Amino acid sequence: MFAYALRRLFSGALLLVVMSMVTFLLFYASSSTPERYACGQKCTAQQLEQTKAALGYDEPITTQWAKFAKGVVAGREFPDDEALREAAPELVTQCEAPCLGYSTGYGETVRDLISDRLPVSVSLALVAFALWIIIGVLLGVMAALFKGRVLDRGIVALSLIAFAFPTFFVGQIFLTYVSIRWGLVDTPRYSPIAEAGPWAWLTGLMLPAITLALVYMAGYIRITRAFVLETQTEDYIRTARAKGLPQRTVIGKHTLRAVLTPLVTLSGLDLAGLLGGAIITESIFNFNGVGKLSVTAIARFDLPLIVGIVLLVAAIVIAANIIVDMLYAVIDPRVRLG
Amino acid sequence: MGRTRKRFVALATSAVVAASLAACGGDGGSSSNDGVGNQEGQEVTEATKGGSITYLQSSVTEHLDPQRVYVGRDISNLGRLVYRSWVQFPSGTTDATEGTTPIADLATDTGTANEDATEWQFTLKDGPVWQDGEPITCEDFAYGVSRTFATDVITGGPNYIIGYLDVPTADDGSSQYKGPYTGEGQELFDQAVSCDGNTITYKFKKPWPDFPLAIASLRAFDPVREDQDKGDRSDLVPFSSGPYMLDGEWDEDSGGTFVRNPEWDGEEDTNRQANFDDITFEVGVEPETIIERLIADQGEDTTAIAAQNITSAQYNQITGDVAERAVNIQSPFTNYLVPNFNRIEDVKVRQALALATNRAAYIGALGGELASTPAQTIVSPDVPGHQPLDTFGSPEGGDVEGAKALLEEAGVETPYPITLTYPIGSASSENAFALLKETYDEAGFDVTLDGLDPSGPYYETIQKPDSDSDLIWGGWGADWPSISTVLPPLFDSRLNLTANSNGQDYGNYDSDEANALIDEALAETDLDAANELWGQLDQLLADDVAYIPLDTTNFYYLRGSGIENYVNSVSTSGYPDLGVIAVAEDAQ
Repeated sequence: MFAYALRRLFSGALLLVVMSMVTFLLFYASSSTPERYACGQKCTAQQLEQTKAALGYDEPITTQWAKFAKGVVAGREFPDDEALREAAPELVTQCEAPCLGYSTGYGETVRDLISDRLPVSVSLALVAFALWIIIGVLLGVMAALFKGRVLDRGIVALSLIAFAFPTFFVGQIFLTYVSIRWGLVDTPRYSPIAEAGPWAWLTGLMLPAITLALVYMAGYIRITRAFVLETQTEDYIRTARAKGLPQRTVIGKHTLRAVLTPLVTLSGLDLAGLLGGAIITESIFNFNGVGKLSVTAIARFDLPLIVGIVLLVAAIVIAANIIVDMLYAVIDPRVRLG
Repeated sequence: MGRTRKRFVALATSAVVAASLAACGGDGGSSSNDGVGNQEGQEVTEATKGGSITYLQSSVTEHLDPQRVYVGRDISNLGRLVYRSWVQFPSGTTDATEGTTPIADLATDTGTANEDATEWQFTLKDGPVWQDGEPITCEDFAYGVSRTFATDVITGGPNYIIGYLDVPTADDGSSQYKGPYTGEGQELFDQAVSCDGNTITYKFKKPWPDFPLAIASLRAFDPVREDQDKGDRSDLVPFSSGPYMLDGEWDEDSGGTFVRNPEWDGEEDTNRQANFDDITFEVGVEPETIIERLIADQGEDTTAIAAQNITSAQYNQITGDVAERAVNIQSPFTNYLVPNFNRIEDVKVRQALALATNRAAYIGALGGELASTPAQTIVSPDVPGHQPLDTFGSPEGGDVEGAKALLEEAGVETPYPITLTYPIGSASSENAFALLKETYDEAGFDVTLDGLDPSGPYYETIQKPDSDSDLIWGGWGADWPSISTVLPPLFDSRLNLTANSNGQDYGNYDSDEANALIDEALAETDLDAANELWGQLDQLLADDVAYIPLDTTNFYYLRGSGIENYVNSVSTSGYPDLGVIAVAEDAQ
């Protein structure tokens, strides 16, 4: 198992290196004009060149990537121009390894920017995850148990409706009506748990978390229902029933355990995707998480920031995959890694 | 007046700014908008001191550094809150002349120039201090403008000073002075800007008669104290000389709070009333949400203001007492089309295009009269010397018959093919260009719509001298209230046309007569006489159809019910004037 984890970690790291290269390539393959953004419309051709140099986009792409890679391993100093750093030490920003670069748009290192915003995205993802897993699985099991009856139809219909509405619509409706027009809750705001306490943290997150959870929840209801129904036709369930085991044990122990395996895979990957930021929900509720940061990064052609976020999201997804695979072995004794 | 610096994304589509709103394509509910105020209805009364203001903002403030800020809204706000300069515009005035006439700020008067306006002197008042109590010095002013020369650090800001100051240029056209950080060429700068006690002298290589207007309109000439300057690292760390100072940090994505600066002396600086105790900028809120919150007018939002246009989908909610909290005025931003002179050489064809331009339909698609106003010159109405021209046809435009007759006179084959290149934006702006095409086609043209991404290939395409575009969209706002910041940057071929780029002269307009008039007007030290010459130039451009005016975007703003003394001053480019705005006593 240890060797397996090590092998997976190594291939994951390799994948990250490749992804950083691909991001650099894609950035330059698109019609990105960071110097134009920074310099403005009234910029002359000469000023454009100066700005490009000031932002460090004038060097060959391989040099830029090499500098980035060196920063990750050994750290860097900004601004890049050594003569300028020597002449004016007050301008220098130290970026220690692993340095993901410096965002000239924000005037901060990419790592600081991301680590400031990560707690927002993680909080949002965790609360939404808890909501959709608990409610989704619960309703899914109930729908399966009452298959074909009013309760089942009602749950399935509701989940379809929730699934059909896009997040940007649901979010805007929640914000406009629940918060602004009816004043039922305060304008959602992110309050760090360490400063404001768990209650303020949770209530501030509720509306965006519900928005985010709704779509996922709908999917999980459907999937859980299908898995439960499928499992119920298995021989071992029939055997369990024939042995005279109570319904609670048949469902709780034998059925759910089997259903859990695919759900863990799915939810692990869904959660991983969300940890890297929920772009639409964060934008609507003005939560400064990684999702909103990525929108700004792309709008401003901020290459270091784009690369940083891509690597973060990739790292989370890769890690989640490894964890999910290892969890298999715990949940399902038939699976042996090696 | 400060122009949004990132015109490609934000204002390039200024059609879109006003219009993204027209998303629902409604009729704008014009019948329901009675009671919406205009600038004339606004006046400054005796204000209450105290209270807190929330400034709701959708787009971020990227720069708080005086030499880097280039967004009209931010320039206006910073000038009222934290930065003082030699001169400023009077607060709370809606009078176009008064609002664009500089008054003394940190200087003892509005400055003195030599005869040909190539040398300006200002003398510093005795007394004003920075937020730490240290006196502001003449050297702080010199240091401030020197930063603009550090083009490797101070990016994004207006850089007129580099073109004007009498500092020699290198072979590649850049200045031999490289800014205070490397100090390369410092002695050259020191000869051009020098302090003698409290008096500064700026030496220019060409006349700059409206220099005080530039000082009052931008923040680029404001003082900066050397020991507070950390280049890019101090971009969001303003060091105040004004009535307020930053409390804690400014977060680019969420904003920050300004509180009273105890070192500021309100008896000396009477133009800034500094009525409220603190102001919090809440940044990143979606435009629709800002308007929803202002309509709902609950809790802290009763003392909120915003420089955010009401979206046209929300026009029908602006009724009753909500309408009393709304204001609709013309912004400093004008949109226009330019015919490409490299492709349409016959003036009659260009005149036919001008006549057939259907401004009424275009504006209708953007949201109607609340969103935009037809323009009859490229010079926006708040710029002194603005004179509507009838050369482009009626304000509504769309004269199909007139255009047909001109095309016939020109003897060209119809339908005459035209490629109209414009920045893609919202559904409503797409619709607006489609309606322009419709009328052009009726008049005998065959228009191909060529929409390009303004943050991608748009400017790169239209700035190519050999582009295939026949008709090109542009948007502009004056950097300070003078036609010298409108017509020369757009139509002086010597400034713009090079082998690889046409700069801002997208139509490749190249006229010796126009250039001669520009030289004459720029050298004229009497501003009225200069405006006379600018008028002649604008008429010449109209006769040549160097451009076709489209519209002037409106500001349609809403505020909370607890705000008083609310004025969209001419002096703050139509943005809410934080120099006079106050919180009503019962809202505190």
